[in-house]
Amino acid sequence: MFKKEVEIKHLPIEEKLKKIEKGEAHWFFPHHVFEQIIIVLIIMGVMITLVTLFPPHLGEKADPFVTPEHIKPEWYFLAGYQFLKAAEVFEFIGRAAPKIIGVVGQGIVIFFLFIFPFFDKHPERHPSRRPIATMIGILAALGFIVMTIWGYYS
Amino acid sequence: MNELRLGPILIRNRFLISIYNFVENRLGIKEILDLEVFYKLAPSYLGIFSCFGGITFFMFTLQVVTGILLLVYYVPTTAQAYDSVVHITNNVPFGWLIRGIHHWGANIMIITVFIHMGKIYFHGIYKNPRELNWVTGIVLLICTLSFSFTGYLLPWTQLSYWATVVGTEIPSAMPVIGDYIKIFLRGGADVSQITLTRFFAVHIMVLPAAVIMFIVLHIIMIRRQGISGPL
Repeated sequence: MFKKEVEIKHLPIEEKLKKIEKGEAHWFFPHHVFEQIIIVLIIMGVMITLVTLFPPHLGEKADPFVTPEHIKPEWYFLAGYQFLKAAEVFEFIGRAAPKIIGVVGQGIVIFFLFIFPFFDKHPERHPSRRPIATMIGILAALGFIVMTIWGYYS
Repeated sequence: MNELRLGPILIRNRFLISIYNFVENRLGIKEILDLEVFYKLAPSYLGIFSCFGGITFFMFTLQVVTGILLLVYYVPTTAQAYDSVVHITNNVPFGWLIRGIHHWGANIMIITVFIHMGKIYFHGIYKNPRELNWVTGIVLLICTLSFSFTGYLLPWTQLSYWATVVGTEIPSAMPVIGDYIKIFLRGGADVSQITLTRFFAVHIMVLPAAVIMFIVLHIIMIRRQGISGPL
């Protein structure tokens, strides 16, 4: 597979020009580089606007003797945090069961994230022609969003 | 030789040409420049979602630059950490901007990482021959989240302190090794100065080194394989 990229890279310039005429490609420089510069400038604009209008909140200095009423993680950890809390339904199995299931469950999810490409061998890539993988992906994304919202409001 | 042509650029300045010739005679850069910059093709089918890997990389470089600038004034001790962050925000020239970019940059980077991951998943780009790219990508995802977790403690505020207390408590649920992991993370039974030193070291030294190494692997692999074709 990687041979293809190396072949394109070493094509004579006339061949490359033909590809551009056919609309298959364009020059990396300056065309693609300019596009990237525009994206970078947009990001910088968004960032500086956010920083100016919504400066980061600092709050009080840490006090190990005063526990605040509501302890919540940052938004990207809310889903995992809520998953741990939701695992408390497994309390009937045993006192330690909810915590073990919550932590080990997330470990298993990460483990599957590492290994699943080695088992998904079918070469089809279009999302609508591999409905099971697409459904799993949509459900995972929805699950993450629902858990985040649930964690935010609980 | 009075003029030099590099792709679409025509250079007539003698001084620039002599610098170019100096480097060319010693390193032979023309071959690399032509292949990798001036006569390199970019596929036409790339859409906005193909950019998020690169955007994430840009966000990371932004975090490195603002992080180094914050490091100039930040003091990693429980007594002074909070005051030094207040000092950065209120007194240091443009300190508010640098700290703000570091804070918002971290949040935006996590969003761009998720979008990048979604694009790779839904378009099946992780499939043969790019499985190893996906694995290094997951390592980078874990590193990004660890960056957020360790960096969150550094201002030593009520929120960051108690979030760390709760966060480092989580592994202790695991049987047998759980408590050892908790003590390893905290450097003792409680979140203390040792925890702050530890998180500081991981945040500014261990994770950047790991992330840079895996980004290099990630990019070397994609340069070798080429960007995946259209659907």
